[in-house]
Amino acid sequence: MSDNTRTTLLIGRIGALCLLGFAAAYGIAASRIDYAFSSDPLGPRVVPLILAAILCLLCLLYLRSPGTAERFPTGPLLWRVLAVPVLLVISVALFEPAGFAPSIFVLTFGTALIFGAPVTKALFGAIGHAALWWFTFAWLLEVYLPAGALFD
Amino acid sequence: MNLEYLWQGFAVALTWQNLLIGFIGCFIGTMVGALPAIGPINGIALLLPIAYTMGLPAESTMILLAAIYCGAEYGGRISSILLNVPGDAGAVMTALDGYPLARQGRAGEALALSGISSFVGGILGSIGLALFAPLLSGLAIGFGPAEYFVLMVFAFATLGSMVGSQPVKTLIGCTLGLMLATVGIDATSGAYRFTFGEPELGDGIEFVILVIGLFSISEALIILEHQGRGFTVIRDLGRMTARMSDIIFCTAATLRSSVIGFVVGVLPGTGASVSSAIAYTTEKRLSDTEGTFGKGDVRGLAAPEAANNATACGAFVPMLTLGVPGSGTTAVMLGALMLYNIQPGPMLLVERPEVVGGLVASLFVGNLILLALNLPLVNIFARVLTVPNWLLVPGILVLSIVGVYSTHASVFSIYLMLGIGIVGWLLRKAGFDMAPIILGFVLGRVMEVNLRNALAISGGDISILFESTISIVLWIMAATIAVLPALLAHRARKRIKEAALSA
Repeated sequence: MSDNTRTTLLIGRIGALCLLGFAAAYGIAASRIDYAFSSDPLGPRVVPLILAAILCLLCLLYLRSPGTAERFPTGPLLWRVLAVPVLLVISVALFEPAGFAPSIFVLTFGTALIFGAPVTKALFGAIGHAALWWFTFAWLLEVYLPAGALFD
Repeated sequence: MNLEYLWQGFAVALTWQNLLIGFIGCFIGTMVGALPAIGPINGIALLLPIAYTMGLPAESTMILLAAIYCGAEYGGRISSILLNVPGDAGAVMTALDGYPLARQGRAGEALALSGISSFVGGILGSIGLALFAPLLSGLAIGFGPAEYFVLMVFAFATLGSMVGSQPVKTLIGCTLGLMLATVGIDATSGAYRFTFGEPELGDGIEFVILVIGLFSISEALIILEHQGRGFTVIRDLGRMTARMSDIIFCTAATLRSSVIGFVVGVLPGTGASVSSAIAYTTEKRLSDTEGTFGKGDVRGLAAPEAANNATACGAFVPMLTLGVPGSGTTAVMLGALMLYNIQPGPMLLVERPEVVGGLVASLFVGNLILLALNLPLVNIFARVLTVPNWLLVPGILVLSIVGVYSTHASVFSIYLMLGIGIVGWLLRKAGFDMAPIILGFVLGRVMEVNLRNALAISGGDISILFESTISIVLWIMAATIAVLPALLAHRARKRIKEAALSA
C-alpha cells in the first residue's frame, strides 16, 4: 500500500468517525427534544432519530471503504489556509463597530497578501475593494451596510 | 397542450427591466463560468441574496439566476479551450478536443463553434422544457403527501446511484442536508429543535447562509491550496468565426447531444458533467471511425457543449413541476423560490404562471443574448482568465459577507456562514460533493412535512405510503435505481473474472 493510499484511508476513517460522533450527538439531542403536544402521530423527535440512525449506518459503510480523499495541506500552506478564516473572524468582529469599509479593507488586504500579492498591490487592491463594494452596495443598490463609528 | 403560460412568460421576460436583468445575468454568468475556480452555484449563491435584498420580484430574480446558470454553461468552455482547465464540471469533456484545437491555432474557431453548439443545445433544451413542464405538472397534480414523500425518496435514490463515484458519500451528504433542515422551531408541535438556545436559529438555518458557506467560503480555501499550479493561457485565438463546413459536419452530433443532454437533465441528481460525458462517448462510438476524437475533432467539441446547455434547461423540468431539483444549481434556485415563499411543485404552473413562464421564456431570450455576447465578445471573456487570484478571491469573500449580511443584518449569520464554510472545506477534502447537502437541505423540510401529513391522514398507518399506484411505481423505480448499479458492477466484475480465467 502506497503512502498516498494510506493517508487517504486514514483521512476517510477519521472523517467517518467524526461523522459517527456527530450522528450520535445529533441522535441524543433529538431524543431530548421537549414538546407538550403534536397534532401528528410522529411528533418532532422521530424524523431526527431516523436520520441519526441512517447517518450511523452510512458512516459504518464509509468506515469500511473510505474511498478517495485529498491530502490536507501541511507546513506553510496549512498556515496560509488557516489564516483566511482567522482574517474573516477579525473582519467580521470589526464589521459593525468599525464599519464596512475598514473591515473589508482589513479582509481584502490580508487575503491578497496570503494569496501572494506584493504589499503595494495588496494595499491598492484593498482600497479599491473597500471603495468599489461600498459604492456598489451602499450607494448604488442601497443595501444596508454598517457605516461604523468613524463615518456615522 | 396549453402553452398559455409561455406567452404570458414572454410578456414578462420581454419587459425592458427583465431584458436588462437577463443581459446582466448572461454577462456575469459567462464570466463566472469562464473562471475555473467559480462555478454557476457560486455565482448564483453570491447574487441571490443581493437580488432578494434589492426587492426584485420573484420572476425577475429567477430570470437573473437562470441567466447566470446558462451563461456559466456557455462560459465554462472558454477556460476548457484556452487553458485545458474546465470552467465548470459540464465543460470537462469540452477540453478533450477543444484544447487540441486551440493548440493547432484554431482557438477562435473552437470558441465560435462551441458557442453555436451551446446555443443549439440551449434552444432545444428550452423547447423541451416548454413542452414537458405542463405535461409533467399535469401528471403530478394528483400527488398527495404520501406520493410526495415517495417522490423525494426516489430523488435521493437517483442521487445516490448517479452522482459521483462514491455513492455512500453522496448519501451521507444528503443525510447531512436533511439533518440541517430539521434545525429550528417545528411547525406542528412548536418544539425547538437543535437551536441550543440561540434565537437566530429559531427559523432554522437560512438557505443563503448554508449555500454561501458551503460553496463560496470553502471554494476560497480550495483556490488557495491549488493556486501554485500554473496554467498557460493560449493567447493566439486565430480566426474568430466558425467555418460553415464545420458547422454542417457537427450538425448531427449537436442535435443528438442536445437530446441526450435534455433527457439526462430531466433526471433528478444528474448534471451537466454526466450528460456531456454520455454525449461525448456516444459520439465517439458513433462517429470516431478515424480515431480523431481527443486530437481536435470538432464533433468532440460540439457534442459536450450542446449536451451541457440542454441539460441546464432539462434540469428545470423536475424543479418547476415536481419541486425536485435536477441538479445542484437548480437546488439553489429552488431555495431561491422558497426565499420568496413560493412552494415549487405541480401547482406552481397554475398559481404562478408568470414565474414559470417568465423563466422558460427568459431561457429562449437568454440563449439569444448569450450567442450575441459570446461570438463577438469572447476576447473580453477570455481576458477574465488573467485576473489574479489575489484580486478575485477577496472579491468573493466580500460578496459572501455582503450577501449574508444584506438578508439578515446580523453578524451571527456571518459567523455561522464561516463555520459552515470550514466544515464544507473539510468535507470537500474528504471527497464529499456539496450539491447533495444542498439537495437534502432544500428537500428536507418538504419531505418531513409530507411524511407527517401522510401519517396524520392515515392515523399513523404506514401503509398509506404504499397504497396508491403512483407510490408503488415510485417505490419500484427507487429500488431499481438504487440496486441496479451495484448489480451491473457485480456482473461486470464477474465477466472480467471469467475472461481472466479463460485467458
